[in-house]
Amino acid sequence: MEDSDNLIYAIRTLVGQEKNVAQMIARNVKNSGIEVNSILVPETLRGYILVESSSKLDMQNPALKVPNIRGAVEGMITFEEIKTFLKPEPILASIQKGSIVELISGPFKGEKAKVVRIDESREEVVLELIEAAVPIPVTVKGDQIRIIQKEAD
Amino acid sequence: MTVKACTKCHRIMNEDRCTMCDLPSSTNWSGLLIIIDPEKSAIAKELNITLPGEYALRVR
Repeated sequence: MEDSDNLIYAIRTLVGQEKNVAQMIARNVKNSGIEVNSILVPETLRGYILVESSSKLDMQNPALKVPNIRGAVEGMITFEEIKTFLKPEPILASIQKGSIVELISGPFKGEKAKVVRIDESREEVVLELIEAAVPIPVTVKGDQIRIIQKEAD
Repeated sequence: MTVKACTKCHRIMNEDRCTMCDLPSSTNWSGLLIIIDPEKSAIAKELNITLPGEYALRVR
């Protein structure tokens, strides 16, 4: 149906300004009449935003003259390819018991730890700090850790 | 002023409660999706979004 008409373009932006650029384009598009149906800002894709449009995007259009844009990426993206961004898998799916992780926020920021237990329903993990003299279990939220090594040695 | 997202409909707002779902909103969200034309957008169809606006991709 219409899905085949929808084209998805990637626009390069300044890293960290993806949301601002998307909001500015959204505001401009409403008044300019160019056909943009949605704008996607996946958190995993730094420095890019994805624009869904039913017609070819003209980067010369004044509505797309937004600060912090670094140009468009040649070519189009199929809808199948962006599906992974729409339904992000749970953070804890990639973490296993015994994985080595780094804490990225909280009082133990920067410390390395080993995963002891995973609580999937609450999205929490119980960790044991590697460098601590006495192993103390620490419970943190799944978004406070970054995986370093997937499996235990 | 912190921007929040509803835990159910993922709509982004400033209020503490979602006006549509009447559920508490969360500050812990990531990813942004701006729907301008839900009728024509394939992304909106995939996520069953019928109203234009700003949505979060992941809300906790």
